[in-house]
Amino acid sequence: MSSTVASKSPSSAKKGGRPSTSPSPWRKKKQKKQTEIPGLRSLNGKWGYLFVAPFVLMFLLFGMFPVIYSTIIAFYTYDPLAGAGGLSLEGQPFVGLQNFINLLQDERLYTAIGNTFDIWFWSTFPQMVISIGLAAVLRNRFLRAKTFWRTILLVPNITSVLAVAIVFGQLFGREFGMVNMVLGWFGVDNIDFVEDPLASHIAIAAMITWRWAGYNALIFLASMLAIPDELYESAALDGAGAWKQFRYVTLPGLRNTITFVLIVGTIGGLQVFAEPLTLSGTSDGGSTHQLLTLTMFLYDQAFGGAGKWGYGAAIGIIITIIVLIVSLINFLITRKMAGGDDK
Amino acid sequence: MKIKKLAASIAIAGLALGAGVSAAPAATAATPVTVTIWTFGDVIEPNLVREYKLIHPEVTLALKKGDIDPQQNNMITACNARSGPADVIAVEVSYSGWWRSYPNCFTDLRTMKTSSANANATKGTDKNGNTVDVNYVDATGARVAVGTVPSGQSASTIKSNYLPWRWEQGVAYNDSVIGIPTDVGGLEVAYRSDLMVKAGLVTAAQVKNGTARDVLSKKWPTWDKFIATGKTYMSKLSAADKKAGKGFLDSVGTIYAAILNQGTEKYYRNNGTDQGLLIYDKNPEIKKAWDTTLKAQAAGIGTRIGQFSSDWNVGMNKGTFATMLAPAWMMDYIKQQAPDTKGKWDIADLPGGGGNQGGTQLTIPSYSKNKQAAWDFIAWYLAPEQQLQVFRTYGLFPSTKVIYNDPSVADFKDPFFNKAPVGKIYSEGIVKLKPIFEGKLNRGIDQAFGAGLGRVISGKKNDKTKKPWTSKDSWAMVMTEVKKLVTN
Repeated sequence: MSSTVASKSPSSAKKGGRPSTSPSPWRKKKQKKQTEIPGLRSLNGKWGYLFVAPFVLMFLLFGMFPVIYSTIIAFYTYDPLAGAGGLSLEGQPFVGLQNFINLLQDERLYTAIGNTFDIWFWSTFPQMVISIGLAAVLRNRFLRAKTFWRTILLVPNITSVLAVAIVFGQLFGREFGMVNMVLGWFGVDNIDFVEDPLASHIAIAAMITWRWAGYNALIFLASMLAIPDELYESAALDGAGAWKQFRYVTLPGLRNTITFVLIVGTIGGLQVFAEPLTLSGTSDGGSTHQLLTLTMFLYDQAFGGAGKWGYGAAIGIIITIIVLIVSLINFLITRKMAGGDDK
Repeated sequence: MKIKKLAASIAIAGLALGAGVSAAPAATAATPVTVTIWTFGDVIEPNLVREYKLIHPEVTLALKKGDIDPQQNNMITACNARSGPADVIAVEVSYSGWWRSYPNCFTDLRTMKTSSANANATKGTDKNGNTVDVNYVDATGARVAVGTVPSGQSASTIKSNYLPWRWEQGVAYNDSVIGIPTDVGGLEVAYRSDLMVKAGLVTAAQVKNGTARDVLSKKWPTWDKFIATGKTYMSKLSAADKKAGKGFLDSVGTIYAAILNQGTEKYYRNNGTDQGLLIYDKNPEIKKAWDTTLKAQAAGIGTRIGQFSSDWNVGMNKGTFATMLAPAWMMDYIKQQAPDTKGKWDIADLPGGGGNQGGTQLTIPSYSKNKQAAWDFIAWYLAPEQQLQVFRTYGLFPSTKVIYNDPSVADFKDPFFNKAPVGKIYSEGIVKLKPIFEGKLNRGIDQAFGAGLGRVISGKKNDKTKKPWTSKDSWAMVMTEVKKLVTN
């Protein structure tokens, strides 16, 4: 969306405001409006662009420009302290595709992809169940102090990620952590939630779930409240109990919301960073890179003391490609589901 | 040189007697200036900042505290742009190797000369414009007069005050001086007397009369003996204690860096170039440190607790480990984390003789707009007198060797550490060290070796062999990873 806004330069805006012989339907529509409400003529033509200008300028400066610049330096052995400095590429050796060739041969890339998707899996699906469960409880019409409970659900979400990571780091401590203490009552040996690959991913997933389960529950709740009461009443008349009502009325009604939450969760899941960085304590993600996610890998190479900015930029491009692929899959699934609803 | 040293020790002797020489305040109507300082932790100490404000009402010290890694990236950005708001930047030792390759980012401090601003610093002006005595209140409540810095001092003239190997960490490859050392970490063994008595390594009487630390130091002149002592300690633990994860040393991984810092070379050899020559795969000192660390691991003397983790803080209180390798600044950390263990801790010598961990340099970036005010501040702040005060308040050990014989360092006994003469113990270890060339990627390489040891120590499974990581496989992986790191 934003790119279409950005592509309209102010000069073309001026032209658009004047009567034109162009057969464009967009312009025709606008001209028609202008004859009806003359007072809005200037607003449509110029002021509209002025209103979006702050966003467009910020986006170009802090969104688009870094994307282009980092794409360029992915083809260089870039050292910001060497050469002419500033944005100049003078004195920076051009290496062509070498960064990408090295990257595809780098085991850590595949470790990072694996870790990222594993953490995503463990944080998405249990969270979905918890969120829908919480929403179902909140939907109960006999529940008192509804606003209070809904507000409470949002509190974890506004807590700083770093604070969450530090507190959970203590809960998951190997020797004196509370989680291991409770597990110890059941005869389970102390689990190393930092070094053990699976356990560490679950620890991260727990932090993510804690932060987002309440937020998603509210989205599910909104969607649940939109399901007509008649459906429940007729289901009740047909003899459906609470579980059957949930299974055959509520869940189908939530289908689109589930897809939405899944997509948003996936995009967030591919960017997990602060939690694993804090838990592992080092930017390399632990002794066998068990906590190294894609964004952490980028950070480690470019900013973590390795000083490989070109390589880091190449990782950024790989992340973009992965996000695009995942978005495409999401899009296809959503379209199929939307088609299913039409039937 | 000798005269200067003599002058310094006379000045200090004067200070110790509390005889501040009073002089008229500098009557210059100086223009207001703000010196922006990028720092972290307790590098810039608030008491001294207040003090400086009294001497220099015209100078505002604006402290911007951050974490080491993000600050490093801010420095890179600022130097890339050749502009930034900072006038003074604190650079931690793990990154000093990095910046030695880029002297252009800093002001060569040999070219700076102190102005007369600090020359008459024993009197200052307070908020209301009254002339007052400039005094410093230390932790014990004693008042100490602030030292003066004569005008015309450059990095070259103050160099002789500092430890030579510590000074080298602030010198760039082209010999320009980019940073002046703040404190020095040092490294000794902090141990729990009560646990040592329990294990029969020393007697309660020895703890009481203060000879226990010498008895223990004699038990571990070398790292092998340290490991053997650890084994004896472990054999005295009950089965329940062992099951609860108790051990002799908190984290055997710390042995690696300790041994490496006792040598003369690490991952780089100084060959006069900006990058230095990489010797991480050839240097026998590295392999020795690696093998000794894993030997300690095999001996089972360590707990499975990582330093600076929440488990570590708890373990410090609970007596989960009897010893830890402690830089001087860690003594303050122990006091804060485990206040109830007061008197139970003590300090013994580090095996192998002397060690170091950590330390910081104060630098002036090349793009600073207030270089003169920044240099006046650094020269004053890191002068022996001020370092002495920081030591007395925070236990940060001075890098100015000229005050090691001063009674307030040499005779300093810390009640928290069973009245151990910590000043004497640390200074004796510190002066034994030699300069080590730290190259650009020192921190990254260190991290790879640390991960390599971590793989073996944690007993983790190697996905390829389906067995726990062996020293050999892990070493091979370190070599591959470091090679990736150092090649573009």
